[in-house]
Amino acid sequence: MSAPSLKIYCPCLDPNSLPPPPNLPSSSHSYHEIHDLYFCEECDLIRCNRCVSVEVSGYYCPNCLFEVPSASVRGEKNRCARNCFLCPSCKNTLIVVPSDPPESADGRIMTINTLGDPPFFLYCSHCRWDSAEVGITFEKPTSLANQLQKHEDSAPDSLEFERLKEHFEPFIRASSASSSASHHLRTAQHVHSNPITAAASDALSRDVPGVSKYNPLSRSRVGRDKSNRDEMPEYRSRMDVSLTGSDTANVQHLLMIESPDEIATLEQRWINSWTSSVLVNDLKPLRIPLHSKKSKRCPTCRHILIKPEQKPQSVRFKIKIAATGYLPLMAISLPFLNNNLATTAKRSTRPGATWEEDRNSPSINPVMFGGRTYPFVLSFTNPMYDPIQIRINALRSPVSTTTVQTDETGPAQPEKRRPPFAITLPTYAFSVAAFAEAWEYDEDDDMIEDEHADLVDDRRHASASTNSGPARGGKAKTVGVLEKKANTTFIGGEVVIGKEAQGDVKFLTMVTFTYRNDTVDEVDLGDEDGDGSPVRTTNPSSSVLGGANKQPEIRTFSYYVVVDLGRIAQRNVEGSIDERR
Amino acid sequence: KERIIIHSKSITCADVELRGEVTIGQGTVVHPKVVIFGHTGPVVIGTNCILEEGTVIINRRKEVLHIGDNNLFEIGCRVESPSIGDWNTIGVRARVHHTLRISSRCVIGAGCVVAPVEDEVLGEYTVVYGPEAERRTWSGRGRVQEDDLRRKHLEYLREMIPKFNRM
Repeated sequence: MSAPSLKIYCPCLDPNSLPPPPNLPSSSHSYHEIHDLYFCEECDLIRCNRCVSVEVSGYYCPNCLFEVPSASVRGEKNRCARNCFLCPSCKNTLIVVPSDPPESADGRIMTINTLGDPPFFLYCSHCRWDSAEVGITFEKPTSLANQLQKHEDSAPDSLEFERLKEHFEPFIRASSASSSASHHLRTAQHVHSNPITAAASDALSRDVPGVSKYNPLSRSRVGRDKSNRDEMPEYRSRMDVSLTGSDTANVQHLLMIESPDEIATLEQRWINSWTSSVLVNDLKPLRIPLHSKKSKRCPTCRHILIKPEQKPQSVRFKIKIAATGYLPLMAISLPFLNNNLATTAKRSTRPGATWEEDRNSPSINPVMFGGRTYPFVLSFTNPMYDPIQIRINALRSPVSTTTVQTDETGPAQPEKRRPPFAITLPTYAFSVAAFAEAWEYDEDDDMIEDEHADLVDDRRHASASTNSGPARGGKAKTVGVLEKKANTTFIGGEVVIGKEAQGDVKFLTMVTFTYRNDTVDEVDLGDEDGDGSPVRTTNPSSSVLGGANKQPEIRTFSYYVVVDLGRIAQRNVEGSIDERR
Repeated sequence: KERIIIHSKSITCADVELRGEVTIGQGTVVHPKVVIFGHTGPVVIGTNCILEEGTVIINRRKEVLHIGDNNLFEIGCRVESPSIGDWNTIGVRARVHHTLRISSRCVIGAGCVVAPVEDEVLGEYTVVYGPEAERRTWSGRGRVQEDDLRRKHLEYLREMIPKFNRM
């Protein structure tokens, strides 16, 4: 990691969990970027991709973008039923091309028929593979899957699959009939809607001697069915396994190859469920597997967080409750001592640009040296229509203990190591103005400046009161509220790096912010005096809200953020940038 | 010394950088921002070629760098190969080293870097593709349609480029 970054901790359904120490590589699983997180309004909690429950909302083909109804997905074996195929050698999409028109005897140029002449075949524009090499040609350029259906159905793996299904079918029907009869007596977990899972649970209980499928109510009817379930005849496969396992054909091929290019690579072969020929020339085109559109729900309150649109072509969402709409957007930048603080504040106004410039500009090199103090700038951007109050607390980085085997024969003594850096951050609460559309700012400019003046006077810390505008000059204070601009507030902090320090500078902060939990009309913003104190209890009258019955509540939400400032250069290489990898 | 010979029937834009001895054949279309470096040795381009924007052709040897007919050099490609045949396609941002000689009907895919360690000749109908520049041979099917397409491409360019560029 070269650029400084911020990640948010998601407790993942455990209400009492503490975030793991961020400098351990094993704890990276629970820290997410803000764009990966969702926010459940009912539970007032962050949800990440690992704790949401996902369900499929539709299937589509990634090539032709045709939406496949869920009913026919099963029948088509999760593949596209139209003309979409994958090139076996480079996995790109194949196109249907007509064959070349015959050239006349004297080599004159013939006019090319736009519709093309049969026979048609599949062609890869990336690696120039074509299906005529394996002998697959078509008479018509449409509905190719149908034309290939006969070939596919006669393949040995699909015949075997059909036989397996026929074998299990009567038993699944029997067990699902018995379970549906006593459905009203059982709890929901025991009824399997999917016959496959019913068969699986039967198989599970059958293997353990003396243990039958758990049934809270034992009735005579169940006892009768149990005997049926246990007496499944043995399945005999269509072909003898020993025959299919023999590789004589492959061995013959291997003996005769001339170059290693003739053997298909593992990536090209493992898609087939059946062992097939090893040669590259025998690879067949594959139908494109379908992708699914997923909708995500909060696991506890079942509130839908993400619901995509029905059409596969659109990338928008019908419902999108993401964390970026609730949590303040944070960005961090490291102005080094030789940089003017003002230019850095300007650069931090576009948090997106900070990353690019940090990576490209040689002056911002994220490697820090031990024994020095570096200021950094955190910016908070408020996405909500109400002003919020933020308080940040840097947590003590956990003291790492390493066991050291001493010379004595006693047990190893744990040796305490002091944390290698110290963080200074403002601990008072500061407010961030509400988000408003750009066209509102022309009228509200005066109002915002008044807000600043009010806020500054309310401050208890004397240092902040001297700062009513952007910090100028290199000698300005570096800790505290630096600047407020529109709905962004810049906070300065300092990190002091110890002389013996090494490794990454990563520390945890707890960010607590207070917000109001309903939508307020834009008109109301003018009425607020903007000091944003957290204990405001004035309620706008219900007439202003248009008859809404909900009382605006003040809610406090806190979450942990791990701030990564970069690496500390190695001790012995002073003066030269040394990035350990 | 500078000696630039451009055929009267070729379409060459004014914004190209031709250095050294460069010969451009009949019917060839040279888009703007092409760089041909012929100081060390002469560069001879055949008929009906298309050199798209950003093409860089460098001759690092004293011998003549021959480029055949009906080739397509796509945007941003860099060619140092000492000899190129006919009907080839060098893909977008591809790079061909000076140790490689290209024969006819080859396709170098987009972004491929073909830099063999020692001198090598790319046989006919070779396709180079993928990030690791794997190779395979083309069967040649669809060849007539591709030739036709290139012809149409040339005609279109010959018609459109003089309208929008200085010659």
